[in-house]
Amino acid sequence: MSSQLCERIETKEEGASLGANLQPVEKRTITVAVAGNPNCGKSTLINAIAGSRLQVGNWAGVTVEKKEASFEFRGNRIRLVDLPGTYSLSPYTQEEIIARDYLVHERPDLIVNVVDSTNLERNLYLTVQILELGIPVVLALNIFDEAKAKGFTIDVAALQQMLGVVAVPTSAIKKSGLDELLQAVLDTARQPERRAPRALNYGVDIEAALEMLSRSLQGGHAGLFKQYPKRWLLLKLLEQDPRMVEETGYADRQAVEVALSHLKSAHGDDIESIMAEARYGLASGLTREVLEKPEFRQTELTEKIDRIVLNRFLGIPIFLAAMWLVFKLTFDLSKPFGDWIGDMAAGPFKHWATTLITAVGAPDWTISLATEGVISGVGFVLAFVPVIFLMMFFITFLEGSGYMARAAFVMDRAMHSIGLHGKSFIPMLLGFGCNVPGIYATRTLENPRDKALTALLIPLMSCGARLPVYVVFAGAFFAASSGTVIWSLYVLGIALAIAMGMIFKKTLFRGDAPIFIMELPPYRMPSFHSLCLHTWEKGKHFLVKAGTYIFAVSIIVWFLLNLPWGVQHKQDSYLGKAGQAVAPALAPLGFGTWQAASSLITGVIAKEIVVGTMGEIYAPKKEEAQKIPPFMEDAKEVAVSFGKAVQESIGNVTSTFGISSLAPDEKEDRSSLKSALHQDFTPLKAYAFMVFVLLYMPCMVVAFAMRQEFGSWKWFGVAFLYQTALAWGMVCLIYQAGSLLGLGV
Amino acid sequence: MNLAGLKPGQKGRITSIGSVGPLKRRLLDMGVLVGEPVKVEKVAPMGDPIEVRIKSYSLSLRKSEAEAIGVEVSE
Repeated sequence: MSSQLCERIETKEEGASLGANLQPVEKRTITVAVAGNPNCGKSTLINAIAGSRLQVGNWAGVTVEKKEASFEFRGNRIRLVDLPGTYSLSPYTQEEIIARDYLVHERPDLIVNVVDSTNLERNLYLTVQILELGIPVVLALNIFDEAKAKGFTIDVAALQQMLGVVAVPTSAIKKSGLDELLQAVLDTARQPERRAPRALNYGVDIEAALEMLSRSLQGGHAGLFKQYPKRWLLLKLLEQDPRMVEETGYADRQAVEVALSHLKSAHGDDIESIMAEARYGLASGLTREVLEKPEFRQTELTEKIDRIVLNRFLGIPIFLAAMWLVFKLTFDLSKPFGDWIGDMAAGPFKHWATTLITAVGAPDWTISLATEGVISGVGFVLAFVPVIFLMMFFITFLEGSGYMARAAFVMDRAMHSIGLHGKSFIPMLLGFGCNVPGIYATRTLENPRDKALTALLIPLMSCGARLPVYVVFAGAFFAASSGTVIWSLYVLGIALAIAMGMIFKKTLFRGDAPIFIMELPPYRMPSFHSLCLHTWEKGKHFLVKAGTYIFAVSIIVWFLLNLPWGVQHKQDSYLGKAGQAVAPALAPLGFGTWQAASSLITGVIAKEIVVGTMGEIYAPKKEEAQKIPPFMEDAKEVAVSFGKAVQESIGNVTSTFGISSLAPDEKEDRSSLKSALHQDFTPLKAYAFMVFVLLYMPCMVVAFAMRQEFGSWKWFGVAFLYQTALAWGMVCLIYQAGSLLGLGV
Repeated sequence: MNLAGLKPGQKGRITSIGSVGPLKRRLLDMGVLVGEPVKVEKVAPMGDPIEVRIKSYSLSLRKSEAEAIGVEVSE
């Protein structure tokens, strides 16, 4: 064991017994970082190895996903830490910074470098950089089966020899080579002589420059050698890597210039190019030595598919058809289940809670709290689960199959013109079904700027929850042309999104457009196991994180509606009073009544609640003594209606070409509400109100989704401010102009 | 001649990379190096971005990004 490594193990086990050092290596937990290019099958490999033992979280301070798993393998404890997929270890992208900071500062015991065997050269470019760290490496030659099928022969022994590391052929999809890979991890961790990989030779000139820099560092900065892997440190300082220069505080530019002077005179003065060429030179050389390709390159399946999918004329129609399918499957499949969960919470579960609480003799208000607060809250959160799970499933499928990159390729021109990225299209499209999955889908955007801008515009996509409001108002005031009126609201939302995109591009997001440069990976069928696992992780994350908050807010709203104790009418509750306070601000918009204001306030929970609140205010149902059906009847109802949901879900997808979950359904008769609305609204006021519902602040579930996706309230704050201002300004304009022109007054 | 000027099916060799900073580094990392053969495969249906074949894989980039990459046509 090298002395450096001994030192590391000792410091790691500080505080443990003095004999820790004498323990056999395998008794420790072996921390293994898993690094590799995007699209190299790394997540599938990790899913195949760790399965349900994976823990998903975020990297500290950023919202890039972090996966970890700890498990026993042949009597040893292995902790896998999945690093973000990167092409390089440059200091520019969030993913690369996370990966290199982890490797340099956390110093895992070992790195498993997952390599796409069908694309050896570009993948080895990262390998070469990983080897600079001096941490033991095991190479997973993944997608080995596909490389073989293409007629590639890879000389694994030669590759091991040249790199000085163990290489194991794997296929994550077929789950082959996994035990061999883990065994290689154990062997490498155990065998001191294999621990540090050999340093690759970057050529006489670079090596001489490194040597020179090393000597000058020995002088005043020897301490840095203890903090950083030596070769990595020297290379980064030579490259003038901005992040490392800042981190080390190494200011001796002269030493670097001296070391560089010969290099520059021999190779030109662009050190980044020199280094990239040196590293790619090694990667190309290695590839030439170990890889034998068939003499004639066959046209690959991917190219054949792309000839159609990216065709000049067919590209856009195919894309739109794919989007229609994704949208339909996401919302039509999930809606019956979401409704079922909502109905169950409002029916059987409420009944059971009422029975139970009555039986123990608790006061009446606890029944209301339990049923309208707790159970409604839980039901409300759970009703989002089907749509979020399905959305995650399809998004992961689109990414894993390689189509996501094509979707971005096809749509980028249009999206780029409003400052967005080609990949922004799908989250925005999903926004029409429900803004919440749309916000979560922004995780397919790598660049934080693209992601934030997309999320800011998604709430302008008129979601399914706003539709019930339109249906009631358009039905009551524009009977003949209600379809056109509703359609105009969707168009208005899109037009404003385009306008706001342009404005944000020039203000909040001023500066260079982010880099687009993107690989179009080969099409691959993602493994079903991996898809499900990923979907489950995401769904669970929503339930635990956002669900808790949403639930808490539901309880608070319940209190606001029912406090002070004993309120008879909604207008006397705290919420009603808040409505009265806000109403004057809405007067210039045409609906400055406490009824409208209170409805809008409750609509913050979810916009369809606006209709429910208005119904209660304008057309209260007569109190009927609620008869609680017997337990068994309710239990049967739970099962039967679930069966119906399954049927409906399948029926939705197979029966119609349209999107049935977006078809307005009027389960309840709203005719009394509609006629009551004529007291306070004119057609113009009704239209103004609908536009306000379209635009005013995102609902709280969107707020929590934004909080979760961005790790802070910042972007929700921006959305809240601009949307409220936009809603007020826009509606004021519509109402005042309409009044002046005498339209629908 | 720059990479954005090549027509689909045309091949070339990279002669210079004019971009700077993170964009340049990203290009280098993706294998866009001086001397490297490159072939333009497709132009997206709306005319931007383009798809090129380099180092045996497919890369897409916006025309504005491709304009900074000098090429000499080889076929």
